[in-house]
Amino acid sequence: MEATADFTAERKYDFDVVRWFTIMAVVYLVVGAGVGVYIASELAWPFLNFDNPYISFGRLRPLHTNAVIFAFGGCTLMGTAFYTVQRTCGVSLWSNKLAWFTFWGWNAIIVLAVITLPLGFTQSKEYAELEWPIDILIAVVWLAFTFNFIMTIANRKSSHIYVSNWFFLGMMVMIVYLHVVNSLSIPVGLMKSYSLFSGVQDAMIQWWWGHNAVGFYLTAGFLGIMYYFVPKQANRPIYSYRLSVIHFWALMFGYVWLGAHHLQYTALPDWTGSLGAAVSLAMIIPSWGGAVNGMMTLSGAWDKLRTDYVMRFLIIALAFYAMSTFEGPVMSLKTVNALSHYTDWTIGHVHSGALGWVAGISIGAIYHLMTRLWHTEMWSEKLVNVHFWTATIGTVIYVVAMWVSGIMQGLMWRAYDEYGTLAYTFVESVAAMHPYYAMRAVGGGIFLLGAIVMLFNVLMTVRKSVTAGSLREARGTPAIAAA
Amino acid sequence: MSSLADYFETDWAAMTASDWVGTILTVAIFVLMVVAYFQVFRPKNRDELEAKKHIPFEDDHEDLGDNDGRP
Repeated sequence: MEATADFTAERKYDFDVVRWFTIMAVVYLVVGAGVGVYIASELAWPFLNFDNPYISFGRLRPLHTNAVIFAFGGCTLMGTAFYTVQRTCGVSLWSNKLAWFTFWGWNAIIVLAVITLPLGFTQSKEYAELEWPIDILIAVVWLAFTFNFIMTIANRKSSHIYVSNWFFLGMMVMIVYLHVVNSLSIPVGLMKSYSLFSGVQDAMIQWWWGHNAVGFYLTAGFLGIMYYFVPKQANRPIYSYRLSVIHFWALMFGYVWLGAHHLQYTALPDWTGSLGAAVSLAMIIPSWGGAVNGMMTLSGAWDKLRTDYVMRFLIIALAFYAMSTFEGPVMSLKTVNALSHYTDWTIGHVHSGALGWVAGISIGAIYHLMTRLWHTEMWSEKLVNVHFWTATIGTVIYVVAMWVSGIMQGLMWRAYDEYGTLAYTFVESVAAMHPYYAMRAVGGGIFLLGAIVMLFNVLMTVRKSVTAGSLREARGTPAIAAA
Repeated sequence: MSSLADYFETDWAAMTASDWVGTILTVAIFVLMVVAYFQVFRPKNRDELEAKKHIPFEDDHEDLGDNDGRP
């Protein structure tokens, strides 16, 4: 029954562009994680800089963040958004051509990032480093993506818009605002510009963007993925639709306040940081509500976790989502922030969200998509399991290393001796970090190994589908499909 | 801060237009969230809202009888 339905869907919907987004997402996962492991190794063993500015940490670090967030994350979001909006609205994309424009435009942006960032062209804004001409291109492509999504919803057959589409749409609308405002700058050359804002206002705009990129791009968008793919993979509806509605509105109205908690103990007015921290704490409620909603979807069918490796990815991702949405608010509190800020604890927190939640839910969704889009089982289920364990173990090693390193850093920096002078020099704290930096590189390496295994498995699955003619058959006549 | 009242004391005369816009939006959003909460969890609305959770699965069933290619 499921196979027949998928065969019909193949002829009914525009899946080619989804297939390409899916494959490129896996490619960029390997590239982004690969660059990440390299720069992590540079921190542990600085000779790896080779005195070459193009591969120095400062230039490769934004390449890593752009590759994993915008290349891997972006392709995953666009592929899954185009897939789920068609399947939940019962119509094909409003414009397949515009979807292909989105694909090629987004990939052109990624190529431009790969060229310009190692060359040192940067606006020096975190997660928004690309220079102004590329920023304009991002706005155009993102608007094309958003407009196509909205028009597809407008053409829907169903009377109700399923909640996953709300999350995708919330992300799209907010990212337009955030990207445009944060990128406002005065160009002084083709690849050089200065921010329209200055001083503490610039910092506030930067973190208004920075934390909302986390809240709306890396959270709301991937929750859209969660609300479709967890029920589909579990073959059971979401635990509570009502909870998902409250989750959505609380997330949309709450997240925009949080950015100021990145600027505790700075020139920003004190009350702004306190407000950011207070709303951060309040956000635990909808975040945990959403995580529990996803997990409880498996209520009564937990045995699926024994055999369904894709389900494991989705559920462990929700566990990391719950964990990092608790850790974040705790870190935003002034007392904790006094210890954690500027330390590796922040890096650990970010990666428990990025590797555990974002990558986990994406990988689960991609494995689900592989079987639906190529109309065949994965080439190797065992390799999916290998990937699950490498991803999980790699993430845990990485995060634990950064937790220990970060807390140790914070304690060393604030330690005083009996005369009131600092107990440690900065360089002593750097030396103390070395074992943990090596441990982080190893954890990242294990995660990267899993990503390479995934890419191999994905490519072999495509080859299997081509060899067996599964996709060709799915595109064929209904009579063949029914057989 | 000697008391809770001091903590919440506001110089209303010093409020700028931006302050008022922000305050009104914040209060309005808070009220809307309360309304949303009561609407969503009102027992009367339960069945109607929970019925939507099956949408991702309706697509599969609908496809079975739909052989005309595109919608």
